[in-house]
Amino acid sequence: MDGVITFFSSQQVMKAEKVLKKNGFNVMLIPGPREISPNCGTALCFEYKKEKEISSTLKKNKVVFEAIHYYPQVKKISKWIDS
Amino acid sequence: MEEAIYFDNAATSWPKPKQVLHAIKYYLEEIGGSPGRSGHRMSISASRLVEETRETVGKVFNFHDTSRIVFTKNATEALNICIFSLLKPGDHAITSSTEHNSVMRPLRHLEKKGVSLSIVKCNSDGALNQEEILKELKRNTKLVVLTYASNVTGTILPVEEVASICKERNIPLLVDCAQTAGAIPMDINLDRFDNCIMAFTGHKSLFGPTGTGGMCIGSSINLSPLICGGTGSKSDKDMQPEFLPDQLESGTTNVIGLAGLKAGIDFLLKEGLSKIRKHEKELIKTFIDGAIHIKGIKIYGIKNQEKQVGIVSFTIKNMSPSIIGLILDRKYSIMCRIGLHCNPNAHKTNGTFPDGTIRFSFSYFNTIEQVEKSILALKEISMGKID
Repeated sequence: MDGVITFFSSQQVMKAEKVLKKNGFNVMLIPGPREISPNCGTALCFEYKKEKEISSTLKKNKVVFEAIHYYPQVKKISKWIDS
Repeated sequence: MEEAIYFDNAATSWPKPKQVLHAIKYYLEEIGGSPGRSGHRMSISASRLVEETRETVGKVFNFHDTSRIVFTKNATEALNICIFSLLKPGDHAITSSTEHNSVMRPLRHLEKKGVSLSIVKCNSDGALNQEEILKELKRNTKLVVLTYASNVTGTILPVEEVASICKERNIPLLVDCAQTAGAIPMDINLDRFDNCIMAFTGHKSLFGPTGTGGMCIGSSINLSPLICGGTGSKSDKDMQPEFLPDQLESGTTNVIGLAGLKAGIDFLLKEGLSKIRKHEKELIKTFIDGAIHIKGIKIYGIKNQEKQVGIVSFTIKNMSPSIIGLILDRKYSIMCRIGLHCNPNAHKTNGTFPDGTIRFSFSYFNTIEQVEKSILALKEISMGKID
């Protein structure tokens, strides 16, 4: 996964995870990268190529988020966390 | 699946002693009533439990006037009651540069309404020289607020010395004991330092459940409530009672939480604080002695187990704390907290703002073996050439 969505509140992250999973997206919660955002302590990882669909799904479901970022760092460590 | 290693005890302690679970279950099944309200046997049992919990908290703080031990839902609420009670526009307050947002945010809120603020700088290892407080005292200084130990680096602050400075000048001192109550001996004697308030949380080193906390209030301090309401007392009047603890405890008490808190503290007292502290000091020392040799690691704070509680904060060069936290969780089942720990000022003092640090926080239930495993994990991560 090489995309990350940041949020302002953990309430928003929990809602986003539920909405996106329900709509069939593959997502993963991670500790919020502080180098990207000082806001919520949890962020949501996804496949960046699905950015548009994810963004519109969140908007359609009225889930507020801060920003969507390309964040390849998680992909780089996938061998560490998939085992 | 590897054994889970929980190093996030400064956020909330886990596991809790089994007695806590049993006490909560016992309250639900056998006690049941609402305290201070109805006068029937179940209500009286609940009142008795709440008073016994005050006595038990009193043992931790060596403070035995249970009327001045007030329960709140957490340390934040207790700190807010004090800060909002004791400061009005035109007043001056002093605090340190390592305070949690539970202190900084109410102070900044009041600053906008005309309270002036001095923030005394801690040095880079988080320690504070009490003389610096002395320099900031003004004629209109109405409150000093100080954390007992930093929630980022674990460094213990000289609260007793500051209590003395404040006592001589009759200035209230509010001490944030969130990371120290149940972890180290409470050195402030509230009978002598009647100008002090000790705000605590129940769910960290006191082993209670979340939703519990409170404060011990020195006898020279007068507070006012943040919320008013039913107390079960003076029910003939529609005015808030002016006596403690009722004045500051409106609405039905969290008895289920207090049942757990009492059991948590009873466990702590039975084990003995000195035994618990000794074990936590060994955990800190083992971590620092082992981790200091990891290439690229930087450990913040005083790095001396005698002068800190069971919290260590560190970074690894060229690696995002967030990514390290993710690997620790997913690959090694080590749970910790990364980031800014609700304390931007402490991180600015450390020089770790805005990226933050990785924080390990230990409890009595952690083992030396778990700490050794975490050092091996960090060694592997530091050599992983992840970027």
